[in-house]
Amino acid sequence: MPNNPSMAAALVGAGESDKIGFVPEKTSLMLHAEAIKNAAADAGIHIRDIEAVFSAGGVPGMQSPGLAEYLGIKPKWFDSTTVGGSAFVMYVHHALAAINAGIFDIAVISHGESGYSGGRRAGKGTGQTRGQLDPWAPASQFEAPYGLAGAPSSYSHAMNRYMHQFGVSKEAFAQIAVVTREWAGLNPKAVMHSKETNPNGGPITIEDVLNSRVISWPLNLLDVCLVTDHGGAVIVASAAVAKSLRRKPVWVAGAGEAMSHSSMLAMDDFTRTSASVSSARAYKMAGLGPRDMEMAMIYDSFTYTAGVTAEMLGLRPRGEGPTLWAGDDARPGGKFPVNTNGGGLSFSHSGMYGMMLLVEAQRQLAGTAEEPGIGLPGRQTNAKVAVVNGTGGSLSTTGTVVLTADS
Amino acid sequence: MADYNKPIPEADPYVTQPFWDGAKDGKLMLPRCTDCSKVHFYPRIICPHCQSFNIEWVEASGNGTIHTFAVQQRAFGGWAEEVPFTTAFIDMAEGARMLTVLRGVDSTNPQSIKIGSKVKVEFEKASDDISVPFWRVVE
Ligand SMILES: [Zn+2]
Repeated sequence: MPNNPSMAAALVGAGESDKIGFVPEKTSLMLHAEAIKNAAADAGIHIRDIEAVFSAGGVPGMQSPGLAEYLGIKPKWFDSTTVGGSAFVMYVHHALAAINAGIFDIAVISHGESGYSGGRRAGKGTGQTRGQLDPWAPASQFEAPYGLAGAPSSYSHAMNRYMHQFGVSKEAFAQIAVVTREWAGLNPKAVMHSKETNPNGGPITIEDVLNSRVISWPLNLLDVCLVTDHGGAVIVASAAVAKSLRRKPVWVAGAGEAMSHSSMLAMDDFTRTSASVSSARAYKMAGLGPRDMEMAMIYDSFTYTAGVTAEMLGLRPRGEGPTLWAGDDARPGGKFPVNTNGGGLSFSHSGMYGMMLLVEAQRQLAGTAEEPGIGLPGRQTNAKVAVVNGTGGSLSTTGTVVLTADS
Repeated sequence: MADYNKPIPEADPYVTQPFWDGAKDGKLMLPRCTDCSKVHFYPRIICPHCQSFNIEWVEASGNGTIHTFAVQQRAFGGWAEEVPFTTAFIDMAEGARMLTVLRGVDSTNPQSIKIGSKVKVEFEKASDDISVPFWRVVE
């Protein structure tokens, strides 16, 4: 048996782009570069110390080499595994394996995405419009004829099946949105921080969610993540390097990845995701289980995504995922904080959100969540063990990591 | 037919032509593996159940049930004129699943549409070459 890579690497710094939300003056690459600058400064390293680049999007042409070129560095490891918004969490798994194999000591996992503003520039000056799908592709023949319009229009089918199968109400999912707005209220960078930052900002009620515009029944507007511009990055380092840096290492105790399908045309069970598999792999590597977790960062592209993932991670029994947000546990001040930055529903979601799960988890476990410019009092939790789960595509791919604070 | 304003698929002459030829004749054709005898959908050159490349086409019953559905309030192109409309994943009697737009339902009242309801396939002529399958609730 190969050796267990648990704790061979740590997250040693995290950062976001200088501005988050609606940033029309910055391209995706610029958002990447700012996030990497800030993450490197947080870790106390120079950008030229980075030996490996993990990046999935927002870079014209080639992904990780394109980003390295922009930064002016020549890494020895490239990874652009493209599996949707879960990619960044999977990159922790990949970096852990490579560090454990002794291939490099310092990596950056980065994301920059002009998800709101970039789309408004698309086509201008390029001589071309968006890439056309091959007409013989399965989606062209068997999906495009039926009028679906983006992720909400497909995820809604999964939510409806779940509600039918387990007798769960729309109210139970709406509560997830309500709690994320409470966390956003403690994060001055959150797009939905308050009514001053956005008309839909927090606080909100279950009735607000149910009365918001229907996008794709059973999903209402406030069940759906934001579409924004942001960058985020974390620095991953070998155990030896991590111990020499300024921040307390946030140890990668376990990591795993899995998939169930790619397009929803091939989704077998709409009431599950592969997070049950990826988390089982991560827990096993860590030698820990769901009951050992003290907080969670769960990709919330939709209230449904978060709700079903809670039970896939073993945090709630089957059919009861949304109850993780019932009561006070998941709220600010609660005993099991969830999505402490405000999540993709209330903080920022550029299209592929997974990077921000890692940025926030690193801060919570390094104890920097209330540093000047980062948070407000009440945001830093006491959690020492976190489970982080990214979901990508159409509930298709999942990456899970278990992170532990330095003792 | 000249006024069909939704996306019209293009048959892949090397793989999916039998499906679209069948549709033109009002038949639902499915790819079936001659090794494990299971049907699959969307059509592939490999059986996703046993990885065999031995695929034949068989005529399906055109019967199914609603596995799940959603009511679309936002759409583009020709579909924008149809909102609200109901999309659904159909469990076909032969064992594979297919996305469609439901007919015979009241999309203004999602609660009236029932998962598990029986549906039957029908085809709408979109061009000289292509007829698009839709499923109608029959109970
Ligand atoms: Zn087979």
